[in-house]
Amino acid sequence: MFAAGCDVGSLTSKAVIMKDGKIIESVIIKSKARPWESADEVMNIALSRAGLTMKDIKSCVGTGYGRDKISFIDEAVSEIACHGKGARWLVPSVRTVIDIGGQDCKALRLDDKGNMMKFITNDKCASGTGRFLEVMAKVMHLNLDELGEMSARSKQPITFASACTVWAQADVIQHLNDKVPIEDIAAGVNNAMASRMSTLANNIGLEKDVCMTGGVAKNNGVVNALEKHLGIRIKRIRREDPQLAGAIGAALFAAEKAGGGAK
Amino acid sequence: MRKETREYKFDWMLWTTFAAAARLKSGTQKEYRAILKYIPYFNRMVDALLGTGEPGQKFIEICAKYMENLTFAKEKGKKTAITTFCFSPAIFYAMDIVPICLEVLSVMMTFVYKRGTAEFLDYCNEVGFTETSCSSQRGTIGAYLAGIGSDVDMFVTDTPGVCDTNANAFSFAAAYLNKPFFQLDMPPDLTGLRSNEYHREDFKALIRFLEEQTGKKLDSERLKENLRELARQDEIIAELEDLARLVPSPVPVPYNLMVYASRFLFAGMPECTGVLESMLKVARENAAKNISGLSGGVEKLRAFFCYIDHYAQNMQLWQMLDSNGICYQGNILSHFWSHNAPHVAHYHKEEAAYNINMANTDALIDSLSMINSRMPMIKSIRGPYDAPNMWLEDTLGLAKLYNADFIVYNGTPGCRNTWGMVKLLARDTEKAGYPTYIMYADAFDARVQSWEATEERFMEFLKVRRLV
Amino acid sequence: MMKEFLEASTALNNKHVTKWKKNGKKVVGYTCSYVPDEIFHAAGILPFRIRGFGATDITIGDTYFGPFICSLPKCMLQLAGEGKFNFLDGAIITPGCDSMRRLDECWRKAGSDVPGVLPPFFFHFGVPHKYSDYTIKWFTEETRRLIAAVEEHFKVEITDADLKKSIKLYNYSRRVLDRFEALRTLDAPPFSGEEALAVILAGTTMPREEYNALLEKFIASAEKSSGIKDRVRLMLVGSANDDVGMVRVMEGGKALVVADNLCFGSRFYTDQVGENGDPVFELSKRYLGHNDCPRMYGDYQRRLNILEQKVEKAKIDGVILQNIRFCDLHGAENGLFERDLEAKGIPCMRLEREYGPLVETGRMKMRVDAFIERIQQRRTIA
Repeated sequence: MFAAGCDVGSLTSKAVIMKDGKIIESVIIKSKARPWESADEVMNIALSRAGLTMKDIKSCVGTGYGRDKISFIDEAVSEIACHGKGARWLVPSVRTVIDIGGQDCKALRLDDKGNMMKFITNDKCASGTGRFLEVMAKVMHLNLDELGEMSARSKQPITFASACTVWAQADVIQHLNDKVPIEDIAAGVNNAMASRMSTLANNIGLEKDVCMTGGVAKNNGVVNALEKHLGIRIKRIRREDPQLAGAIGAALFAAEKAGGGAK
Repeated sequence: MRKETREYKFDWMLWTTFAAAARLKSGTQKEYRAILKYIPYFNRMVDALLGTGEPGQKFIEICAKYMENLTFAKEKGKKTAITTFCFSPAIFYAMDIVPICLEVLSVMMTFVYKRGTAEFLDYCNEVGFTETSCSSQRGTIGAYLAGIGSDVDMFVTDTPGVCDTNANAFSFAAAYLNKPFFQLDMPPDLTGLRSNEYHREDFKALIRFLEEQTGKKLDSERLKENLRELARQDEIIAELEDLARLVPSPVPVPYNLMVYASRFLFAGMPECTGVLESMLKVARENAAKNISGLSGGVEKLRAFFCYIDHYAQNMQLWQMLDSNGICYQGNILSHFWSHNAPHVAHYHKEEAAYNINMANTDALIDSLSMINSRMPMIKSIRGPYDAPNMWLEDTLGLAKLYNADFIVYNGTPGCRNTWGMVKLLARDTEKAGYPTYIMYADAFDARVQSWEATEERFMEFLKVRRLV
Repeated sequence: MMKEFLEASTALNNKHVTKWKKNGKKVVGYTCSYVPDEIFHAAGILPFRIRGFGATDITIGDTYFGPFICSLPKCMLQLAGEGKFNFLDGAIITPGCDSMRRLDECWRKAGSDVPGVLPPFFFHFGVPHKYSDYTIKWFTEETRRLIAAVEEHFKVEITDADLKKSIKLYNYSRRVLDRFEALRTLDAPPFSGEEALAVILAGTTMPREEYNALLEKFIASAEKSSGIKDRVRLMLVGSANDDVGMVRVMEGGKALVVADNLCFGSRFYTDQVGENGDPVFELSKRYLGHNDCPRMYGDYQRRLNILEQKVEKAKIDGVILQNIRFCDLHGAENGLFERDLEAKGIPCMRLEREYGPLVETGRMKMRVDAFIERIQQRRTIA
């Protein structure tokens, strides 16, 4: 029985097709301006790669900001619930999920059955989000992935004077002009991000195991910095790309609704 | 919060820091210079204060004493009260309660720590306190909420009606830690029969509360002693304020800070008087020689800060002013409105000032309630800003009295009551002929706007307005 | 009938106000629920609750208020500056909180820049921050001061007898609203939270006699309704909300807001005014004493108890603790509520938002949806 999940975000859109609890296809694309266009494209790519059509999918759940606009879904579920569900499938021992997306970040606590206990979100400001990293990377002429490996080589990370993305940009330019090593600036950026995120995470309380989902989970620099700030180990997601957590959760919800259990 | 921060009680650490700083000049000058290298994050603060000679030395000593008092209060069997800078501690000292003034502790940490109070500010958010609240309380209350400070027995504030964010921080912390709480409430008017009566009844209720908390009755003789000392302090402050009217002002730039900080910490106690006397000696000497209090000796500009200072690391605001030949002509924090203050007589504001009457217990309590209701901000930030005796009147009056060339507003993003109308104030002061600069920084949190950016914009204002 | 309530709650200068003014009568606006309506009623003046609903822009608000200020008074000033409150013959400003307190000088300054936008009667009405014998005394004197000022400016006389009559009428109104409140908390409430808010808001914009009549008709018909079943039951707590649209977004067809502790909600109408003795004193006692607002510092425990009682009485599934950005009072107290209610097993969700045009519905909806999903997950286990 095929079930599918579609997660339409501000920066990327993801689709996951599962069969009897196993992922058979997954796709990540850059989001378009309109959420329904992103949804159509990412699902079509996934279907064609799997050699399927939409008719073969017994149930499909959509999530993410654009979820209500997706035409082919049977139901929309919040991305908080989907990230929780997906994280649990990826790491069965998870109790705390931290997700840093393109335009918001959230922390979520699960009980031992994987049900949502508490969640907190913060998106009144770009500082704790993927957007912050994007902006900084651009100023430094780096790719987002380079930001992580650069910071690992830092001996003396800079401390950002300002929590604000706009001001921090000016600070980065200043540091570049002062010939501060790029690794140190990159490390400073990751630390600033982690610091902001850790305040949020501490608000709901941390319980092991702690995992990160979303695109930023792939940035080792931020993950390491966050571990340091939180004083707790973050279990890396290795089963699949952590950015797929939302879409995986959506697919799992879809499977449940269609009557199939998911492992 | 980092693990290291949790290892020691933060107020104990502040005590040892200031106690050590107080001993810095006990060796040779060479030893002193060598030690400064080992305290990179506050060597300039220490140098700026000790550079003023005896006043700075005494000031650091009383800071250490204050921290020692609260660190060992429990051991000595005394109760502690978390309080605010605009609450005169005279009543606490009279009742043998050790005050813990949140904002002054925040300033101490912003002066000496590399990260200022950042960790404690963030901790407040973690336990559910709102991020937008004023950083002056948040910076210290975070440590107490995290349980890494001395034992706290009660919370006492007098800012309802004046400053919500302050009162709210006290209310939250008291509820969070489940401790007794008392508020002195401020009506919108300062003077008049109704306000006087309200202040009086409220203060009596405060005394009942404190007696209940300590199990001891208010000792009138002890209170008289405190008020006599307070009166002595008022005389010295009045003379210092008068001397500051001279051109050039013989009062060194850091003196304003030492005047108000000493009073916030030790009103009515000899510790404060000692610092004031020391400052007066130097100011009188300078005045006699007709020399400027600035270290460069040349007075180029006179600045009046209508609100508070910027407490960025290492006392950088004072150093910026001093090095640019700008003398500091006061702010809202250094005026206590004693009946003998120069501005009271000059503007015939006797009704707005306080008198100390020790005829009987009732008169004593009345005096105390008046002293409290005339504290900085409590006096002038209630009701509309342009009402009689309120902020606009005070700002223009003081700026004029001290021949200010320009006015500066600096506060914090959490300051709801001033951000609600500072643009209006600036319009009025500009109209009155004072170039007015509104700073968008946070006095207690350099992460909002770095000191470098703050200084740059400040100097830019002076250039654009052709003041330099 | 609901159309009537909706119109009254979303249109400034609605038909009740225009009719009132056409008859040559006066309207006085007030910003805060501490102002005793009865005073104006006794003077033959229509008391009108000033709100910021309907502002589509905030440039005038931003001109006078600095940044870092909650958008509620900014929106009020915006409307005033655009002349939308020109129908008011007077305005009462109270220090509900610092941001609201500053509406006084900001509005006056705007009035000196834009002729006609400042009402001719403009009064700063002080309110103590605690409840005790000397604060009630002061507040009684303040209320007398307000009465004297109204009498002088509007050339009316407000006798104790007039006040007592008005108190009686408003008390009756409060009893009717109690019946209305009881309907909200039924197992199958006859109307949604959005509709409930419209009904409550309407009462702040029209003459009390007309409102009572409408309300009674509404209750009579609602009592016959079979009600809305199978929804997640929410309680809304926190900063002022006068936008029925926001409640609609939160309810989203899956939930019902069956209780609240809001300034534009039940806080506004609970508790009677004593009908014997000095009417000014009785008004002061009730208005100062009943208001469960975090501006009454040190009273957290009592407010927590009230919430707990409501949760039990209305069979609440979850509590939404919302605050307007920069609202320190509600923003902080919501943190305490969350800690203490969650500890008792009551699901809570904190939400920070802007006051003004409803633009961030997607973000809000996502969070409320997640909260509802969390509650439903709990239900399936239980």
